[in-house]
Amino acid sequence: MTVFRGYIKVIKSNRLMICFYLAIFFAFSILFQTTAKSADTEMYQMRGVRIGVINNDDGALAEALVRYLSGIHQITELDDEISVLQEKLYYRAADYIVRIPEDFYEKCISEGKELEVTMIPGSYTGIYVDQQINSFLNNAAVYQKAGFTEEETADAMKNRENVRVELADDKSVAGDNKDYIYYFRYMPYLYLAVFGFVLGDILWSFQKKELNRRMMASPVPLRRQKLEGMLCMSLFGVGIWVLLILGAAVCYGKSWTGSANVGYYILNTLALLFCTLSVAFLAGTISPNRDALTGIVNILSLGMCFLGGTFVSLDVMSGSIKKISQFLPVYWYEKANDILTDFSVMTETARNQVFQAVGIQIVFGAAFFCLAVTAARYKQTEG
Amino acid sequence: MIKTVDHAGAEGLVHIENLVKRYGSFVALDHLNLDVKEGEIFGLLGPNGSGKTTAINCMLALLKYDKGMIRIFGQEMAPDNYQVKKDMGIVLQNVAVFDELTVYENIDYFCGLYVKNKIRRKELVDEAIRFVGLEEHRKMRPRKLSGGLLRRLNIACGIAHRPKLIFMDEPTVAVDPQSRNRILEGIMELNRQGSTIIYTSHYMEEVEQICTRIAIMDHGRCIASGTKEQLTGMIKTGEKITIEGVALDEEQLRKIRGLPHVFQADYENGILRLQCTEAKHNLVRVLHCLEEQEIHFGRVFSEQPTLNDVFLHITGTQLRD
Repeated sequence: MTVFRGYIKVIKSNRLMICFYLAIFFAFSILFQTTAKSADTEMYQMRGVRIGVINNDDGALAEALVRYLSGIHQITELDDEISVLQEKLYYRAADYIVRIPEDFYEKCISEGKELEVTMIPGSYTGIYVDQQINSFLNNAAVYQKAGFTEEETADAMKNRENVRVELADDKSVAGDNKDYIYYFRYMPYLYLAVFGFVLGDILWSFQKKELNRRMMASPVPLRRQKLEGMLCMSLFGVGIWVLLILGAAVCYGKSWTGSANVGYYILNTLALLFCTLSVAFLAGTISPNRDALTGIVNILSLGMCFLGGTFVSLDVMSGSIKKISQFLPVYWYEKANDILTDFSVMTETARNQVFQAVGIQIVFGAAFFCLAVTAARYKQTEG
Repeated sequence: MIKTVDHAGAEGLVHIENLVKRYGSFVALDHLNLDVKEGEIFGLLGPNGSGKTTAINCMLALLKYDKGMIRIFGQEMAPDNYQVKKDMGIVLQNVAVFDELTVYENIDYFCGLYVKNKIRRKELVDEAIRFVGLEEHRKMRPRKLSGGLLRRLNIACGIAHRPKLIFMDEPTVAVDPQSRNRILEGIMELNRQGSTIIYTSHYMEEVEQICTRIAIMDHGRCIASGTKEQLTGMIKTGEKITIEGVALDEEQLRKIRGLPHVFQADYENGILRLQCTEAKHNLVRVLHCLEEQEIHFGRVFSEQPTLNDVFLHITGTQLRD
């Protein structure tokens, strides 16, 4: 196992580079999950609008509408005077004014007339409140059509407000708890960078023309040399994988290990491991020198990660880019990851999609491996 | 078990017969025949592109050849003849070591390809380090070594396992004179310790200095082979005399040309160049002739014919053309 030991020694001499990339990976994962989490919180915070209400009806439904709006927005009762209304709008004391007409139930629900509203032209808050009032009126119309009286409709609308949806998330796979999705999302870059630079570098060292001549002249069969090399690189890859899986278990504890999808995550990362090892094997084989290797690995790692959905989420990518991305293994890794994020408990369809993505990654890996073997043979013959 | 036949007239340690190697229409080796005996330092001398490295690559089974036969230790050489490879060492023209490993680790790695026993290997590696004088650099990485030290490391990696047969392909290219001398002394020491060495170079001085037998190659063919004396004996020139700062007229030059054993005399820009057949007192006779004619002269040089003269005589071109 001399060749194997040689590979180990060369890997050891690259330990600083490996630590450097691992540190970058962990830093990036933590940084991104922190910023993404705070952005999520702000993005979906409900905002109230200042609404002025002129209530010309004393009916139960008009009262229900005012109560409904006051549950969401800041309501001010206004007198029906044009100068007052203009002043309120001008000074932004109200963003939206609703005029509830006399006989509101008959006119707006039974006869379907439009409710008169005034808003600041072009304001998104106006459209926002429009949607809520339309929703209220539509629901009330449904009750009216079902034969409810005004009082019964008002009661029914009141009851609707009290309905609250509660998400049972006993597996902690939904909502804000899934910090580890960022950890798994950035994993392709770590794999490609570490394997590309470290393994590519080692392969390149072993394939230097003169060194190769010396190895070929030795009494260790060429096939054995290659096998020992591959065994060492595979073990190194598995070592990094174990480290990352343990890292996930330590960093996220039960939120990840207790997740129903933990097995799928492991399967997906294993498929990616095989694929990225093959890519590194190919990069190391085709590189004519160390500088070229750096260039090739940078292009492959950054290119695949940008297009494959590591740095930019697949959700925000255009259809044409996604079509191109489908020719990259990282895309399928991220796709499987997205499915695992979306489904707290896997349905059969989702499971099949994950298996399909994993299978495609393995096919990609096999293709890259065959290419690398062919390139290595060609180099050998050429030398 | 390898058995070497080494008696007069029998096959040598390395036997090459009618070896032909073509690269497309270019013939790199043209029916090459060589026979290297056990215990020799056998020099392959020839200009760049004469086929020396190709011949070495074929002998190491690194290159497939088109025709002919190579036998080493009495066995046909093939890429999978690991029994033969076990007893061979290789020192290449360019340094072939791992930049990531230290001097010790490099030698240990290459020695480990041949010697599995750890304790024995350690002894051999230490010995090789001492042999090339890298004791103070054993923990250094190659990139911190000078060119000469790197060459020594390259040699140590090729000879640490104590091979019976060592191929050295121009191991002194781009090496300073001090390191070169050390390397050449080392090669002779290896030979004294029992290794047979096949040494390629385009530096005739080196080959003349260390090789017991020499084959001169040109255009993929062996154009002459033998000891240095045998090779220089092939040509007419036995002594070359050069006299500087001399003024001659036609009559004086004619008289010099008429001296016994002088078969060529050229006079140009005050320098007289004579070529004589091998005989005693050639120089004395020439100087006496000059004195008789009261011709003044400056520095005088007398040289024995070199391998370059042999090459020039056979091919009509200089070795370094």
